[in-house]
Amino acid sequence: MRAGILIVATVLLGPGRAAAQTPSGQSGWTARTADGQPDLQGVWSNATITPLERPADLAGKAVLTPEEAAAYEKRVVERTNADKRTPGTEGDVATAYNNFWYDRGTKVIGTRRTSLIVDPPDGKIPALTPQAQQRVDQARAWAAEHPADGPEDRSLGERCLLWRTAGPPMQPGPYNNNFQIIQAPGYVVIVNEMIHDTRFIPLDGRPHLPAGIRQWRGDPRGRWEGKTLVVDSTNFTDKTRYFGADVNLHLIERFTRTGPDTLLYEFTVDDPTAFTKSWTAAIPVTKADGRMFEYACHEGNYAMTDILAGARADEKKAAQGAGRKGAQ
Amino acid sequence: MRTRLVVMIASLGLLLAGVPAWAHHAFAAEFDANKPVKLKGTVTKVEWINPHAWIHIDVKNPDGTVTNWMIEGGSPNTLLRRGFTKLSLPVGTEIVVDGYQAKDQSFRANGRDITFPDGKKLFVGNSSPDEGAPSK
Repeated sequence: MRAGILIVATVLLGPGRAAAQTPSGQSGWTARTADGQPDLQGVWSNATITPLERPADLAGKAVLTPEEAAAYEKRVVERTNADKRTPGTEGDVATAYNNFWYDRGTKVIGTRRTSLIVDPPDGKIPALTPQAQQRVDQARAWAAEHPADGPEDRSLGERCLLWRTAGPPMQPGPYNNNFQIIQAPGYVVIVNEMIHDTRFIPLDGRPHLPAGIRQWRGDPRGRWEGKTLVVDSTNFTDKTRYFGADVNLHLIERFTRTGPDTLLYEFTVDDPTAFTKSWTAAIPVTKADGRMFEYACHEGNYAMTDILAGARADEKKAAQGAGRKGAQ
Repeated sequence: MRTRLVVMIASLGLLLAGVPAWAHHAFAAEFDANKPVKLKGTVTKVEWINPHAWIHIDVKNPDGTVTNWMIEGGSPNTLLRRGFTKLSLPVGTEIVVDGYQAKDQSFRANGRDITFPDGKKLFVGNSSPDEGAPSK
């Protein structure tokens, strides 16, 4: 079945048509698939050094001038160069390896906005509700006391289950910032390189799943608004909780092809039991430089056993230290 | 209490280093900042896998014995896109690893900085086509 969809998708990829670059939300891109959908297909990369939230030292500044953007790019690329060492520190251990393993991007987004968040205007994720903040505090307290009793105490990424920046919502990360869009009659399919995850988005207007059925990446429904694909996702579980979201997350994503090599990705987080207001980000995305490769994860996950062994070694050391104190 | 303080300091260190705080806590949990190692060895095996590549090296100890160490790297996908495959680091190549040993004191280390003995960096630029680079 999947091979059939891929063959159909390849046939549907028509020749690119000339597209005018127009302000975000509008597009001169005219290429369509055989069944008339605006053509969003390709392997895309959302790598950028523009952060999700506006940095504190840029508060009040929504957009950089071209000179400021160039200086910012130079500063950030230097600051995040993993070949810079602070030997003997936990920070140095956590930076993990040489810069050549990373692929964060080197540029800010073309609009030179200082944050990917466009609403609220301060470019920051709105405050959590009291119950959401309590949940976050409890989780943090638990993690401090139980860093690795078992795999369930570790992040979904370390467990090779889900990758945080693949979401949804999708955002830039440290490497493998790639996703592929494939369109078939009645469906848009989004494949994330991390962690080889696929969302099948039906376009036939069927209702969402019943409320009692929850899915780790939500339940997506797609529709076209002009040339923009709008994907509405609900029915999330409490397993992901990205940014502090809860099971009531209602995520709206928008995909608009803005040219042969560009696409605008926007998302709105609507979750009133978790956030005091909804918030929206806009990420211009470009054609990826190269193929996506399979990110088979579980099979090579030596790190998980190492993390657990490290925690057991820490506990043993602490117990021996306490034992010595007791003997004094 | 100490654990919490360590976690807080580690997070601050990560923020100052420009690394997103969520990104590599795994490494701080696996490897010991107080156990730096500098290893010179020859490659015996390269696991070009996810979530992390592992480079196995034979290291000659001062007493003449040989220990095989496993060195943890990053995801090879980025390097594959630049044309580097596991054949780009052939068995027998000598490399120098500056890293930190596993907390459980096994012969594993993170490859915090891996170079050739002359100090040159590995996987620089894009690989030439004859190294078996995958086509786009």
